[in-house]
Amino acid sequence: MAEARRKIAGEGWRPWAVGAGALFLAFWTLFPFYWTLKASFMSEIDVLDSLVGMPPSLTLDNYLRVLGLSASDSIFGGQTRAVMEGFVNSAIVALPSAAFAALIASFAGYAFGRFEFPGKNALLFTLLVSRVLPPITMLIPYFVFFSAVGMVGSLFGLGITYLTAVVPLLSWMLMGYFASLPVEVERAARIDGCSRLQVLFYVTFPMAAPGIAAAFIIAFLVSWNDLLFGIVLTGGTNAQTLSPALLGLSPLMPGFRTELVLFAAASILSTVPPLLLALVFQRFITGLNISDPVTTGGD
Amino acid sequence: MAGAQTAALPAREAARARQMSDTQFALVIILGVSLLNAAIIFVPLVYSAWLSLHESNVILRTMEFVGAKHYWTAITDPKVLAAAWRSVVFSAIAVVLSFALSLGFALVLNEDFPGKGLLRALVLLPWAISQVVTATVFSFMLNPNVGALNALLAPMGIVGPSHVWLSQDMALIWVSVAFVWHLAPLGTFFYLASLQTIPEDLYNAARIDRAGPVRRFAHITLPHLRHTTLIVLVVMTVEAVRQFDLVFSLTRGGPGTASQILPMLVFRYNFEFSQYGLAAATSFILTAMSVALAVGYFLLLRKKKVKKETANG
Repeated sequence: MAEARRKIAGEGWRPWAVGAGALFLAFWTLFPFYWTLKASFMSEIDVLDSLVGMPPSLTLDNYLRVLGLSASDSIFGGQTRAVMEGFVNSAIVALPSAAFAALIASFAGYAFGRFEFPGKNALLFTLLVSRVLPPITMLIPYFVFFSAVGMVGSLFGLGITYLTAVVPLLSWMLMGYFASLPVEVERAARIDGCSRLQVLFYVTFPMAAPGIAAAFIIAFLVSWNDLLFGIVLTGGTNAQTLSPALLGLSPLMPGFRTELVLFAAASILSTVPPLLLALVFQRFITGLNISDPVTTGGD
Repeated sequence: MAGAQTAALPAREAARARQMSDTQFALVIILGVSLLNAAIIFVPLVYSAWLSLHESNVILRTMEFVGAKHYWTAITDPKVLAAAWRSVVFSAIAVVLSFALSLGFALVLNEDFPGKGLLRALVLLPWAISQVVTATVFSFMLNPNVGALNALLAPMGIVGPSHVWLSQDMALIWVSVAFVWHLAPLGTFFYLASLQTIPEDLYNAARIDRAGPVRRFAHITLPHLRHTTLIVLVVMTVEAVRQFDLVFSLTRGGPGTASQILPMLVFRYNFEFSQYGLAAATSFILTAMSVALAVGYFLLLRKKKVKKETANG
């Protein structure tokens, strides 16, 4: 059977296959963005007429309205203001919780990835279970508790709920990363008289910087994009985050009319921080060891 | 005497001392992290378990112990069973399609073509944006009157004008497809990282042995990706089982209950009907689905590790 297939297949088709695949990939990934970007520069009347082709005229008005710089609009003033406040609130909650989660997960990942200790397997299993807990399972007790003590609408409370989602995830991820770093440098630093914490902060963590940065970015994106926790714990309050505010402006919201073009502009603005981070993140792809810690050492 | 001993075996003694404190140091860190996790994750879980054993009355602010009643209600409730089944269908469609697309995309991005760098950078974007945006964009793609899909397909006669995509029968499938758009980039990212660790020499050697592209793929690429595939499948399944944001934004579980997957039902029990006990009990069924997956994954990896060690030893 193998003999029959021995003859070398001509590889002239290969560039064509790659080209077709690349075109499909580009279309699949970018068409929704192209469409949203186009809509964000159009007026509401034009957008329904020219779905595929180019619009007759382009305008910056939608962006000005979302940013609150246009005097002409008062109908959607409440929703657009909520989006801008959502930006601020999401940044206030996502940045510190991502930084704290990355720090805790760095310690956890270091201990799990570097050392053997009694009870490690049981703890790894607990970590895995925490990592797969559905968010809604965590949300119910937090919601009932926060309602009882008046912490609904608190960004601090929301930040804690984000930690429950990202700390196990990042610990699991960084454990593999730390296991892949050479241990000799640390030994040398110890022999040169560094204390354990000094080794950690001056040698190991700087060496692991790409992995820790990637972990921070993932944690930030999880918090920045979250809808469920945000809508339940901050929806309708002063602390409302970005995704619930976007949903409030979205034409999907039942019951009242909104403008598609306005939502498109707000969407594009909300995509800017993730876009920048995804571009940074992409640079770490080659350096990031995603192999699983349970099997590391065998490879 | 102690001094003489240390002098006699300085290196080994020091090494042993260091090893001891290695374990201690690790345990101190683990203790700290575990205390934090216990406070923010396990205490709320226990509280949720306590809620699931009680009947709460929001108006009277009372709690009455009812034992396993909510669990019994949940596993015999046709709504829960239907939602669990929808979750299974949703996850199956989403995982199979995301898996196939992400592997294909990674293979393409691992080749050389003009614009590769830019495409590699942008491929993660659907995963990195808010699912509210994804949902809204898809709802307009699928809009019967002004949507891009009908504008594209209706003139070709594939569907009739004003074809309703998010219908009773098809809504679950379309929310799965929208979710694939969000989820596939994650798999592409894992696969691309793994593909880049395959030494080019292997392919060159195979070329010298006159192995065609199909055989090179089957005998070099695929075996190398086996471990990554396991990780990708588990990560995707866990993400699909817990999915909420996109489905909530796109259909709210509708039309009717056509796309009401399990997390949506838990949400409704808790936040629309304030049935905290029943919601908590149902959420533990969902959790059991997730944990079962994780346990399977853990056992598979352990088995693999043991096999590898015996093979090496």
